Amino acid sequence: MLENYFPILLLLAVALATAVVMMAGSFLVGPKRNYAEKVAQYECGFAPLSRVRLPFDVRFYLLSILFVVFDIEAAFLFPWAVAFKDIGLTGLVEMLLFLMVLLVGYAYIWKKGALEWE
Amino acid sequence: MMVVDVIFYAFAAVTTLAAIGVVSSRNQVHSVLFLILTFFSTAALFVLLEAEFLAALLVMVYMGAVAVLFLFVVMMLDMDVSDLKAQAINHLPLGLAVGAVILLELVVVLSHSHAHVAAASTVPNTLAIGRTLYTQYLYPFELASLILLVALIGAVVLTLRERKKVMRRQVISQQIARTRSEAVELVQRKPGEGA
Repeated sequence: MLENYFPILLLLAVALATAVVMMAGSFLVGPKRNYAEKVAQYECGFAPLSRVRLPFDVRFYLLSILFVVFDIEAAFLFPWAVAFKDIGLTGLVEMLLFLMVLLVGYAYIWKKGALEWE
Repeated sequence: MMVVDVIFYAFAAVTTLAAIGVVSSRNQVHSVLFLILTFFSTAALFVLLEAEFLAALLVMVYMGAVAVLFLFVVMMLDMDVSDLKAQAINHLPLGLAVGAVILLELVVVLSHSHAHVAAASTVPNTLAIGRTLYTQYLYPFELASLILLVALIGAVVLTLRERKKVMRRQVISQQIARTRSEAVELVQRKPGEGA
């Protein structure tokens, strides 16, 4: 069973090695001559006016939390789909009930305009 | 099974180190990135236990969604850590208490450990979860949908601000219909009194 994951492990190792080699290479070979202007934040040619970490709009947070909820909903579909032949019609009804409840939530956020950016 | 052991210890070491990184790094964004690494290596540990569905959940839900949420929160708050550092000592007793409880739980669980988790089952993990979740645990499953619904509504209620639609369009009929009385106001002021 675990042998099936060997390609993924290999991919992981290659990706890690690539990143390490590239970063180590530029660290070891690249010239490092830093001065204040060079290491400052990039601001299209003028001196930086503010800090890098500007506060985000709260709407990003809302979208993100809505995404979490529907992500979990989708996650419930996977074992259901895999076991569908065993649980049959009852399973279908259950899942429809589950989806209906979340559909109510979807209609609510749609009507509230939470999905609209402006 | 030697190779599997080596892989297990490698991922376990990464998990532990990344978890230490989460609580010890000074930059909160780095903390979140360490958290993502912790999730990922935990997912690898789940795969080694042949709990593939849990591994997929960790990657999909925790790394894909929760970590992004954390990043947004960290960037949204943009808090000053030095303030929190001063108060940290006040929260020390509570933190120690929670830590002690978790440690106790871990000791209890590990001392009654069933040595080998039932990994050697013949059905795939996802199928086994599907068979039990939608038959034996039907009621909690349907409750989960309600909890998700509450989360949806709560998020909208807490964060959604009604934005007044500002109409900046020119309405010519309104402009023409204005009369002198509603547009101009004459005020008598004596000299020297000012507005």
